[in-house]
Amino acid sequence: MIIKDNEEIFSEELKSERFFIQVKRSFAIAKKDLKIYYNKGPVVIQGFLFPLILFFAFTVGRNIIPIYLISGLMAMVMFMTSTSIGPVVFPWETRSKTLERLIACPISIKTILLGNIWSSFIFGCVFSIVPLLLGILFFGLWASINILIIILGIIVASLAFSSFSLILSVPPTDMPANTMILTILIKFPILLLTPIFMPIHAAPYGIVSPLTYYTDIINVGLGESSAFGPHGLLLDFCILILFGLGFTFLAFVLHGKTLQKRFRG
Amino acid sequence: MMKIEAIEVKNLSKHFFPSMKERKRIRMQQEGSEKGTKNNIIQAVNNINFSVKQGEIFGFLGPNGAGKTTTIRMLTGVLKPTNGSISIYGGNIWKHPIEVKQILGHVPEEANVYMDLTGMQNLYLIGKLYGLSKSERVNRAEQLLKQFELFEKGNLKAKKYSKGMKQRLLLCMALMSNPKILFLDEPTSGLDVKSSRIIKKLIKEYNENGMTIFITTHDMDVANELCHRIAIINQGKIISLDTPDNLKKLTQEYLAIDCHFIDTVNVNEIKELHSIIEVQQNNSLYHIIVKDINVALIELVDFIKTNDLNVKQVSTNEPKLEDAFLKIIERGVEN
Ligand SMILES: Nc1ncnc2c1ncn2[C@@H]1O[C@H](COP(=O)(O)OP(=O)(O)OP(=O)(O)O)[C@@H](O)[C@H]1O
Ligand SMILES: [Mg+2]
Repeated sequence: MIIKDNEEIFSEELKSERFFIQVKRSFAIAKKDLKIYYNKGPVVIQGFLFPLILFFAFTVGRNIIPIYLISGLMAMVMFMTSTSIGPVVFPWETRSKTLERLIACPISIKTILLGNIWSSFIFGCVFSIVPLLLGILFFGLWASINILIIILGIIVASLAFSSFSLILSVPPTDMPANTMILTILIKFPILLLTPIFMPIHAAPYGIVSPLTYYTDIINVGLGESSAFGPHGLLLDFCILILFGLGFTFLAFVLHGKTLQKRFRG
Repeated sequence: MMKIEAIEVKNLSKHFFPSMKERKRIRMQQEGSEKGTKNNIIQAVNNINFSVKQGEIFGFLGPNGAGKTTTIRMLTGVLKPTNGSISIYGGNIWKHPIEVKQILGHVPEEANVYMDLTGMQNLYLIGKLYGLSKSERVNRAEQLLKQFELFEKGNLKAKKYSKGMKQRLLLCMALMSNPKILFLDEPTSGLDVKSSRIIKKLIKEYNENGMTIFITTHDMDVANELCHRIAIINQGKIISLDTPDNLKKLTQEYLAIDCHFIDTVNVNEIKELHSIIEVQQNNSLYHIIVKDINVALIELVDFIKTNDLNVKQVSTNEPKLEDAFLKIIERGVEN
């Protein structure tokens, strides 16, 4: 209850209603993000250029079996695209002076962050289809494929990596390039620690990288068996879900702390 | 039942902790003078109190760095106050941010629209964030774009808009949800005559239809024309709060005579005249501040006759809000 006498001024929703209203508003944020950021420099560089360059760096001159080629490519594209919008939005909006208008709207910072997660999620999903089609069309992977596992994997992983990428824009800078440095320092080691384009058990250190578990899901979806034993698939999904929830929570807390520093006189 | 004020502010303060770079700059500034800072804290807003009535246009006037934007940011839930309380129709914006922000509209200083979206898309986005239904969004956007003379450009990307058009679009965005209170941070600064005239006209219209408006400005004409009451803020403190007319009265004890001489005249000779307080020379224009206009005019005519001077034009002036403003600021600094 805000104040007794002012019922005609403030509308008050129930707690559950308020939650759904905010989720609905976060979709509006996501739509805006997709319209605005798909062609911005840092997004294009990280979402398209890096995967392309890395793909050739990893694969040229090596003899890789089709399943690992496709799962490796899918892992790389997933990780790079679903983490490309998240780090850019806050510095970009701080700099282009649209953030203050957004904060003054009846939404919370969590709504904005949730919107960023949806937009990165859609980005990650859409671009994951490209290597998948490649595998189906050119390598005849159709026979052994389990499309349900692959789709679930794509959804869970792009949500998890999207929320992870929000952490990269926590420092209250207004230069998208500044977060790029942090992004590269954190994203590349994760990618390099992941056993892509090879069997997972060939690189035991891979267990520290969350991307390994997505790669495992895709391997299974393409007809391999999990590298983590009979319940491996369940383990993969659980780890990605926990990873995503953990980083969503962390992003909510940390962005709440640095938001005020973005408004300079 | 007691009527609740639209805005009520009590003991509101905002302190900033400067960054390393700013600390260095402040230390250099402070060499010799003690200015607004204490223990390296920037006191942007320092214990201010005021209230804004329902249906009022309330002006916030002050020099650069006075704390106007910081105050508006606290009132709109963007910046958290260091101290004090803000009540919007009795609601606390920091306890119930979503509900309170729902009834506010805001045009931030230096704010911008989304350049990559069209004018219409910018409005739809805001409409969605305030929970308007689809038909409400469409109708309201069309109505506002027409009012602000942007309708033909509604489907153009905002990066193609001029500065005045962007500012008008920002106003449309702020009005999208038909807010109870509208906050405007320097809405006409740097705009051409056309845009600022449209904006002023519509601010008046919306106010006449019952909207409460809180406006900061450097533009004395805007303040004089629009505001019912004006608070003058300097170095984070409100040093005067009154109607524009009452503020102007502060300077009424003095009047000014503007005199264009064709010949050059020694300023000091004019100053020696009995009823003349101050003379400012600007090329051939002499701005003469006097105590008693009748006595001063007679003295001046005498002076012109005895020195055999040629005069192009003489006029007496009403005190301007600007004079009041400068006077109050000056007095505030002296105290
Ligand atoms: N985020 C911040 N961090 C540190 N100092 C700040 C911050 N925001 C404002 N200030 C300082 O607080 C003081 C008041 O600033 P504010 O922007 O409120 O002034 P203003 O009255 O709006 O001025 P203007 O007419 O130039 O817009 C200034 O000295 C400014 O440098
Ligand atoms: Mg300002």
